[in-house]
Amino acid sequence: MKEFQESFYLNFIEDDRWEYIVDGLAVTLKVTFFAVIIGILLGFLVGIIRSTYERTGRLKVLNAVCKAYLTVIRGTPVLVQLLIIYFVIFASTNVSKELAAVIAFGVNSGAYVAEICRSGIMSIDIGQLEAGRSLGFSYWQTMWYIILPQALKNVLPALGNEFIVLLKETSVSGYIALGDLTKGGDIIRSRTYDPFLPLIAVAVIYLALVMVFSHFVTLLERRLKQSER
Amino acid sequence: MNGSYDPLIQAIGVRKSFGDNEVLKGIDLDVRQGEVVVIIGPSGSGKSTFLRCLNLLEVPTGGKILFEGEDITDRKVNIDRHRQKMGMVFQHFNLFPHMNVLKNLTLAPVKLQGRKPEEVREYAMSLLARVGLADRADAYPSQLSGGQKQRIAIVRALCMRPEVMLFDEPTSALDPEMVGEVLNVMRDLANEKMTMIVVTHEMGFAREVANRVVFMDEGVLVEENTPEEFFGSPKNERLRSFLSKVLV
Repeated sequence: MKEFQESFYLNFIEDDRWEYIVDGLAVTLKVTFFAVIIGILLGFLVGIIRSTYERTGRLKVLNAVCKAYLTVIRGTPVLVQLLIIYFVIFASTNVSKELAAVIAFGVNSGAYVAEICRSGIMSIDIGQLEAGRSLGFSYWQTMWYIILPQALKNVLPALGNEFIVLLKETSVSGYIALGDLTKGGDIIRSRTYDPFLPLIAVAVIYLALVMVFSHFVTLLERRLKQSER
Repeated sequence: MNGSYDPLIQAIGVRKSFGDNEVLKGIDLDVRQGEVVVIIGPSGSGKSTFLRCLNLLEVPTGGKILFEGEDITDRKVNIDRHRQKMGMVFQHFNLFPHMNVLKNLTLAPVKLQGRKPEEVREYAMSLLARVGLADRADAYPSQLSGGQKQRIAIVRALCMRPEVMLFDEPTSALDPEMVGEVLNVMRDLANEKMTMIVVTHEMGFAREVANRVVFMDEGVLVEENTPEEFFGSPKNERLRSFLSKVLV
C-alpha cells in the first residue's frame, strides 16, 4: 500500500504531473470532437454521392473521385496519413499540430462513415424512393425527408462504433508530438521511469470515455426506435 | 378539375427496353378524364412497366406520353410538377415507416403544394374517415394490416388532389380477406369520376368498374374493349386462352 502511495505521488502529484493527463485528455477530446464532425460531413456527402450513383447512374465523375478517396484512405494506415498530412502536406505552412490531427482523423473517419452511410441508404427499399418521387418530391427532397431519416436510424450503431474507434485511434497523435492523453501518460512514464500507474490511468480514462459514449448511443437508439415500434 | 383535356393521358408508341430485352413494343393508349381503364395480362407482359412509364418512374426508351397535352417524356419538362397530379398506388404500399399515418398523408401536400398544414390535416382526416380509418391517424404503418396500409396509401395519393390515379396491382400483396376493403375504396373513387388506370388481376373488379379493359401480352397491347365485349366475346386468340385460365 505504501508503495502504491509513493508511486501515485511520484507520477501524479510531484511537479504537478497530473496536468499532463488532464491537458492530454482535453486535447484528445478536442481532436476527436472536431474530427467526428468532419467525418460525419465528409462521410455523408461521399455516401450520398455513391448511393446516388448506384441507384440512378447520375454523378458519375463525383462517384469516381469518391471511390479514389475511399481506396486511398482505407488502403493506408491512419498513422501514415497523419504523418503525411503534418510533415508533407502542411510542411511549409504554420498549421498547428491539433489542426493537422483533426484533419487527418476527420478525413480518415469520413471514408469509413461514407461506407456506413452508403450501406444504410442502400438498405432502404427502392419502393420508398419511388413512393416519394411519385408524390412529386425531387430526388433530393425524397432523400432528405424519406430515405436519410430511415437510413440514419439503421446505421446508428455502426456510426457509434466508428466514433469509438476514432477516439482510440487519436492515441497515435504523439507521433507528430501532439500532447494528447496517451502522450501525456507516456511523458510521465519517461520522467518517472515508473510505467505502471500512468499507463493504466490512461487506459482507464479511455475505457471510461468509451463506456459513456456507448451508453449515449444506446439511449439515442432506443429513442429512435420508439418512433417506430 | 381545372381545365379539360381530351384525352387526359395519351401514350403514343411507348417502348421500353432493359438492355437487349424489349419489354414494351410500342403501346398506344388514350385515357379520357373520368375514365377507368383496367389493364390485365399475364405476368411479364409489361403491364406494370407500362403503368410506371406513365409517370416516368420508368423512362420510356421510345415514344411519347402526353399528360394534359404536354409531352412529359421531353427532358426539359419538370416531371416532379406533373407527378403531383398523378397519384400512384403500389403493390407493396410503400408507406413511410418512420412517420405516423397523418404525417404520411400531409407531408407532400404541405411541402410541395404550399398548402396550410391545418387545411391539409382536415382534408386528410376527412378522406381517412371515408375509407374508415379515422381512428388510425396516429398509428405507425407497422401497426396496420395490409388492407389498412393500402387504403392509407390510396389516401396519401388522394391528398395531393391528383387528376389521375395509377394503381399497380394494388391487391396482389394482400391476404384474400383484405382484398375487398381495398377494392371498395377504389370502386367509390370510380363512382366519383376519378380518372383511374388500374393494373390488376381482379377480373370481377375489371368487369364491374372499368369503362374499358385492355389486354397486354409480350409487350403489345392486344385488345381493348368495353368490359361486356372484352369478357363476353373476346376476339383475340391469346386473350381467349388467358381468360379461359383465369375465369374458372
